[in-house]
Amino acid sequence: MSESPWLLAALWVGLALLASMISIRTAISVALIEILVGAVAGNLIPWVGTLIGMPAKLEPTPWINFLAGFGSILLTFLAGAEIEPDALKKHWKPALVIGFVSFLIPFLGAMAAAYWLLRWSMAASMIAGIALSTTSVAVVYAVMVETGLNTQDIGKLILACCFVMDLGTVLALGVGFANYNGWLVLFLGVSAALMPFAPNLTRHFLHHYEGQVSEPEIKLMLFMLFILGGLAAKANSEAVLPAYILGLVVAGELRHHKETVYHIRVAVFALLTPFYFLKAGALIQGSAIAQGALVILLLLLVKVAAKVLGVYPMAKFFRMDNRISMYTTLLMSTGLTFGTISAMFGLSRNLIDSSQYSTLVVVVIASAVVPTLIAQKWFQPQHELSEETANGV
Amino acid sequence: MEYKKILHGLDGSEGSFKALEHAVGLANRYDAELHTISVEEVPHYPGTVGEVVEAKQAANGTYAKAMQRARQMAQEQGIELQCHVLVGHEVKTIVELIKERGFDLLVIGFMGHSRLYDRVMGSTCQGLVRLAPCAVLVVK
Repeated sequence: MSESPWLLAALWVGLALLASMISIRTAISVALIEILVGAVAGNLIPWVGTLIGMPAKLEPTPWINFLAGFGSILLTFLAGAEIEPDALKKHWKPALVIGFVSFLIPFLGAMAAAYWLLRWSMAASMIAGIALSTTSVAVVYAVMVETGLNTQDIGKLILACCFVMDLGTVLALGVGFANYNGWLVLFLGVSAALMPFAPNLTRHFLHHYEGQVSEPEIKLMLFMLFILGGLAAKANSEAVLPAYILGLVVAGELRHHKETVYHIRVAVFALLTPFYFLKAGALIQGSAIAQGALVILLLLLVKVAAKVLGVYPMAKFFRMDNRISMYTTLLMSTGLTFGTISAMFGLSRNLIDSSQYSTLVVVVIASAVVPTLIAQKWFQPQHELSEETANGV
Repeated sequence: MEYKKILHGLDGSEGSFKALEHAVGLANRYDAELHTISVEEVPHYPGTVGEVVEAKQAANGTYAKAMQRARQMAQEQGIELQCHVLVGHEVKTIVELIKERGFDLLVIGFMGHSRLYDRVMGSTCQGLVRLAPCAVLVVK
């Protein structure tokens, strides 16, 4: 690859542009397409380079790693900020129980399968457990919007459960591999001191500065994210932990400031997440997928089976009928963003190797697609067509 | 053959407005009810909730303008147009609405994708012609 950062940037942004166009044409999420484009380019470029006698690689440089890391932090922050605090308050009891159990059982199940069946190391097995215990709130939300369930109580409950599960994931990443030293104490201390004031501080900035072209309210949030993320990194914890919690804490304030959230999203989707998702794809080794097809199938089955074991009885306990219980279970078996974040966390800290990373990311992608298709095909709850009558538009 | 309930597919393209002219003409000739449906397709397997929210907002904006124009076109011909906006897969949602409301004619515009795209993805037109439980008029 060229050493010029601009040409390298042009290559990555060119791939992001290609992914956007494919996404628009196919109505498949740009995140998923970016991973796939990254995977194809990451495997094709070295092959073409060898073919024409010019060795080349789609290798992330330090600045690409920074943008990708920044993207993952803001993705996690937005994921936390997207919660409906009222729905979580209303359904906190079943959400906490279903969310916790449906995180714990897949976590233990996938970890056990990786450790005993695949003979992965304990650390790699933990990463597998975390990556495969995740649920994609976004995939669930999209299905809810399509079926109209997002406005109903059952939909809000399912979404609240997903937020609890995501919290489990970031806690596991943040606490499971941290160094228990002074930095961790400092990180926890600063977090404990800052979090209670974050909503008021954010409200103050939003009230006084929203609409200013220099966007001080967004800079305040970035400042808090970097301070907490930096301290978390010093403790060998993970910056996505404080990012998610900060998102949850300020969600109530941001809910009334859609313009600010829109501005953050524009910056994130245009500039940062393409680097994150393309990188997540570029690190996938095609050869590892071909050799590990059976392992991929096994881990996918383990993930779905563990979710069935964890979620289905809980859903029945909370008096959902069979169809809705199975529908909820399958939707909670989906994973994407947090799964790839977990796998990349493991790879960047050498807890898993490239081959294990490739396996985990492919399982995560498959888990976004397969359970959704099954849920929509065979278990979609009967509902009145969710019509937004447009006669008043 | 008489048509009493006509459904028109409105996606905001010029093709769909051309189809609307035919639908309005048929509604006048048969004194039929005329409805139009716009389907918001949210991205499949999104990475963030924001991706879904943005896509939905963008579609809302596009369809609001398209429906205003469509309603005006129909009014000029003395037809009251009933508009529906639904979320979901285009073909599946339109077919479900036809079944639920008992439409006897679907009028759609021809969407010109590339041959490769149609071969790989299958076109909305093809899907509707194949699956709609009523007569389908594709206007080119």
